[in-house]
Amino acid sequence: MTEPFARPTRPAADPVAPPRAPRAFAAETVQALPPQIAAEFDVEPDLDLVTPPPARRMSLLTRVALWAAGLLVSLGLGLAAEALIRDLFARYAWLGWLGSAALAVLVLGIVVLAIREAVALRRLRSLDRLRARATQALVTDKQAEGRAILSELSALYAGRPDLAAARTELDKDRAGLFDGAEMVRLGERRLMAPLDARAKILIAASARRVALVTAVSPRALVDIAFVAYESIRLGGTIATLYGARPGFFGTFRLIGAILAHLAVTGGLVLTDGLMEQLIGQGVAAKVSARLGEGVVNGLMTVRVGIAAMRVVRPLPFATLGQPLVRDFIPELANVAKAADPR
Amino acid sequence: MAQPPTSFTDEIGIALGNLADATTGAFTPTVRLGVTGLSRAGKTIFITALIHNLLSGGRLPGFAPMAEGRFIGARLAQYPDASIPRFAYEQHLAALTAPTPHWPESTRRISQVRLQLKYASKSWLNGWRGPMTLNLDVVDYPGEWLLDLPLLSLSFAQWSAEALERAHRHGAEREAKPFLTALDQIDPLAEATDSAAETLAVAFTQYLRLSREDGRALSSLPPGRFLLPGDLEGSPALTFAPLPPPTGPVRSDSLYGMLERRYEAYKDVVVRPFFRDHFARLDRQIVLVDTLRALNAGPDAVADLETALTGVLACFRTGDPNPFLRLISRRIDKILFAATKADHVHHTAHDKLEAILGRVVARAARQAKFAGAQTHSLAIAAVRATREGTIAEFGERLPTIIGTPMAGEKLAGTIYDGKTEIALFPGDLPEDPDSVFQPQTRVKLNFLRFQPPQSYASAEDGSPLLPHIRFDRALDYLVGDKMA
Repeated sequence: MTEPFARPTRPAADPVAPPRAPRAFAAETVQALPPQIAAEFDVEPDLDLVTPPPARRMSLLTRVALWAAGLLVSLGLGLAAEALIRDLFARYAWLGWLGSAALAVLVLGIVVLAIREAVALRRLRSLDRLRARATQALVTDKQAEGRAILSELSALYAGRPDLAAARTELDKDRAGLFDGAEMVRLGERRLMAPLDARAKILIAASARRVALVTAVSPRALVDIAFVAYESIRLGGTIATLYGARPGFFGTFRLIGAILAHLAVTGGLVLTDGLMEQLIGQGVAAKVSARLGEGVVNGLMTVRVGIAAMRVVRPLPFATLGQPLVRDFIPELANVAKAADPR
Repeated sequence: MAQPPTSFTDEIGIALGNLADATTGAFTPTVRLGVTGLSRAGKTIFITALIHNLLSGGRLPGFAPMAEGRFIGARLAQYPDASIPRFAYEQHLAALTAPTPHWPESTRRISQVRLQLKYASKSWLNGWRGPMTLNLDVVDYPGEWLLDLPLLSLSFAQWSAEALERAHRHGAEREAKPFLTALDQIDPLAEATDSAAETLAVAFTQYLRLSREDGRALSSLPPGRFLLPGDLEGSPALTFAPLPPPTGPVRSDSLYGMLERRYEAYKDVVVRPFFRDHFARLDRQIVLVDTLRALNAGPDAVADLETALTGVLACFRTGDPNPFLRLISRRIDKILFAATKADHVHHTAHDKLEAILGRVVARAARQAKFAGAQTHSLAIAAVRATREGTIAEFGERLPTIIGTPMAGEKLAGTIYDGKTEIALFPGDLPEDPDSVFQPQTRVKLNFLRFQPPQSYASAEDGSPLLPHIRFDRALDYLVGDKMA
């Protein structure tokens, strides 16, 4: 038989500090804080509120195999270069020196390029992180978090003359804010709004080009190539616009992210009506088969552009609406009219 | 039995008024903003800041039309009702920005203002029509009068019972004693004389006045016009007092009969027109609550504040209007509960202040939500009078607010002269909002009232920029969606 027993469900309560009594001090003895109040009085952030899902990592085996393959390739390249330089020296000494110099320049170039790529990748990732934090701050409303996000945004766009006016406005407004969520919204209104407008113009221009090329191109293969080229270019331009400046590998990563995004949303951008798309395509197809294809390809480009915006925008769409595919339909209709002078 | 707050003819008048508004509103929509708050809650300051910020395009980053650059401008317009004075915006602003700034005097009469707002709409249909106009109507009135609204549904006997119960309550002896003695010396069933009624009314008024002073800070003591009679002073409708239930049949010429008639007259002449003309037809409402004053005075005052607010807010017509009846019926579909004077506590305590406010208005908010209205709570300061700082004291860093307390404010034996700037640590607000109601866990708090800021930054056009706390969010919640 077990004896009946009871245990407190909670450990003995921590000694609660007694509430502090009111006090007044002479104004001179105070360390006045700047209008932005020191973060030390901010409440500790709740970490368990919104934790982003862990990024997908390659398995250990794959990484080891890749690493070994990389080592082998590097060894091979090194051997080849060494053999080449040795051969050059064997012919003429000056040729050997020339080869060595060229090799040094090549290595230096590769190192610099690698650093730039690494930085670009980092920047892309930091945009992702910033967006995750901003999404979290919108929920938790923590002041310190909001302020950190705003300073990061300011730092991100510090070198951008086109956003100078917006940044000054932002700095003026943020002094009177107390809520993290409010700061994120302010950042979005001040900094994202002008960028969004320009991104929309870029997307519309790309879509128009794609629609026109598709409508007039003789072969399907040409359209496909052009759509692919235009999409990659659009993704890169939008990323640069929002401050990512992706390099070579960065572009790959970006395209991967955009494709993943398109796959998740099934090619449709969320919150967009399926009906409008079908109707838009139906009407276009009625006009002529090629024009219809042009509009379809244009819409595809629009979707790529919107996906790119969602991937690289450092803040979530909170106060400003995300652009919808239907916003671009009038643009494409204009192209259809222009290309079809009947 | 509860009586309906309005008569049938009132209802017809209200419906016709709404119909007229709906007709003119087809061209220029009007939003009637109800600024509700007991006396000293900060209604006048709120309205002044509202007008000034909209007129001068103040710094309101959280107000969507302004933040998105869609707000074009505002101007003061002619108010349609010619019988009521205009809100003295210029005088109130002058008081705030004078070389020796002071808060505007407490409101003694009703006044109104209409703001015409121009903005560009976000929706493509309205955007195509060019700049849109919205009229914003606001009424300012003495907060004491608000306490009368619950009387509309109480008979004389019910009200007397409530008032006497409150006067007999523990803790009220000091204020209520003279009135209760006067009451004992009178036979309610004896023949009525004016002098007896006057004696009683004077004693009763004195009792009300004492109960509302800072030490007690009780709120829920109608009738409000006894404290601020205006031009009705001394009239029969204001000369009555609660009486104990009659022990025998009431003759109409007895004192009881007379006071009962006067009570009904008070409702008919004073309260009902006020309600019908200003509160029966509102679209949006902000309820300003001076939580800090009640917290200063202790659990009784907080509980009393809750009772008063719940009673007052039950009178308003809240809920989502039926789309078929929208032409003739207006209802408040969004209510914002605002703890005013948030600048009198450090910003780290704002969350707790909002929690306490949420607890105080919980019953009222539940009623409103049940009727179908949206509610929200915020800690705001329409004009921010303090700065913040820290101080090291006894090995701990205390968050303090820096400002100049009003003359006569007291803390720990010091009485301030209204000129010295101090850093104040007003005490920690409790974590658990319930504890402000419990007398045994009396929290040590002492909030001081501060003078308005001594100087202001100025906007591009030279008009002063009023610093504020979350005023933009409040405004956005109240009218932002009407200007979408």
